[in-house]
Amino acid sequence: MFPTLDPLLHSELRLAVMSLLMSAEEADFPYIKEQTGATAGNLSVQVDKLSAAGYIEVEKTFKGKKPCTVCRITPTGLKAFEDYVTSLKSYLKV
Amino acid sequence: MEENSNMTAERSLEIITKQIEMNRHAVSKTLGQSLYISGLCIMATSVLVAVVNFLAMSAGLVGIGHLLWFLLPVVIWLLSRKTIKEHAHTPTSFVGSMVAKTWQTFGIFAIGFFVVAIVCTFILFRMVSPSEYAPMQIRVAPIIVLLMGMGIAMNGQILNKRWLVWFGIVAGLLCFVWEHFEMGAWIVTHITSLPPYETTVFMSSLPCLTIFIFGFVGLLLPGMMLKKQSV
Repeated sequence: MFPTLDPLLHSELRLAVMSLLMSAEEADFPYIKEQTGATAGNLSVQVDKLSAAGYIEVEKTFKGKKPCTVCRITPTGLKAFEDYVTSLKSYLKV
Repeated sequence: MEENSNMTAERSLEIITKQIEMNRHAVSKTLGQSLYISGLCIMATSVLVAVVNFLAMSAGLVGIGHLLWFLLPVVIWLLSRKTIKEHAHTPTSFVGSMVAKTWQTFGIFAIGFFVVAIVCTFILFRMVSPSEYAPMQIRVAPIIVLLMGMGIAMNGQILNKRWLVWFGIVAGLLCFVWEHFEMGAWIVTHITSLPPYETTVFMSSLPCLTIFIFGFVGLLLPGMMLKKQSV
């Protein structure tokens, strides 16, 4: 019996965002957009979903005079990602 | 990349690997560039200090060039500004911030110790006779090379480069012994028998040569390697 994969993480864009934030302390919105190749609108929706689940923290600040949205992974998100990878391993028999 | 929930496990793994790899490349590029600039600045400053020391010596100002080391953090900061602007969106990585904090701590200790040594030398020189002063004087170079060796070794641990760890430990300790026991002066006086003026010039330039090598191996070389990895 295979464990169920977290539906929130089992989406290309959300998984890409979480993977990116896993290896960084924090990342701003333009960087995530550039790395994932997503549109601003779609990315914003997915970031909101991850934030609502408590997987990531979104902070709206200013870099000089420009507004800047910074995302960082939370301990809940980290645990969810670890569980997701563990489940993936059982699917792949790694 | 769109929202697609019908992925296979292989595709999920591919996305995770790709994103981590892409992020690692972006972070390596910025970190490599910072180390490269810092290494170049250290090497250029050590050459400048040696030249100034050489020129000032004829005016009787022995070792005055070492004051130029205080400019090093400012020069690094000014030159790094362009890189920081270019990579403004690159995220802060754990590795990057640990490397930066290691060198910031080194800088604080080195400059702090330098200031303490200058103040103590100034006070001692006025309070005691030259014969009493000699054994009491604070020698800056051995402590700076020891701190630098420690910084390089810590950098090696963070970047997971064993050769850098060993270089930091071995070179730091050897150069500390070399500088503390003035082995350079002993070699010059006992083996090469240089005239006193040339000996003083050589001795004044020796810490600069050590720091030049440390800057090259400890900062410039890992910086170049990280930049190459990110291409």
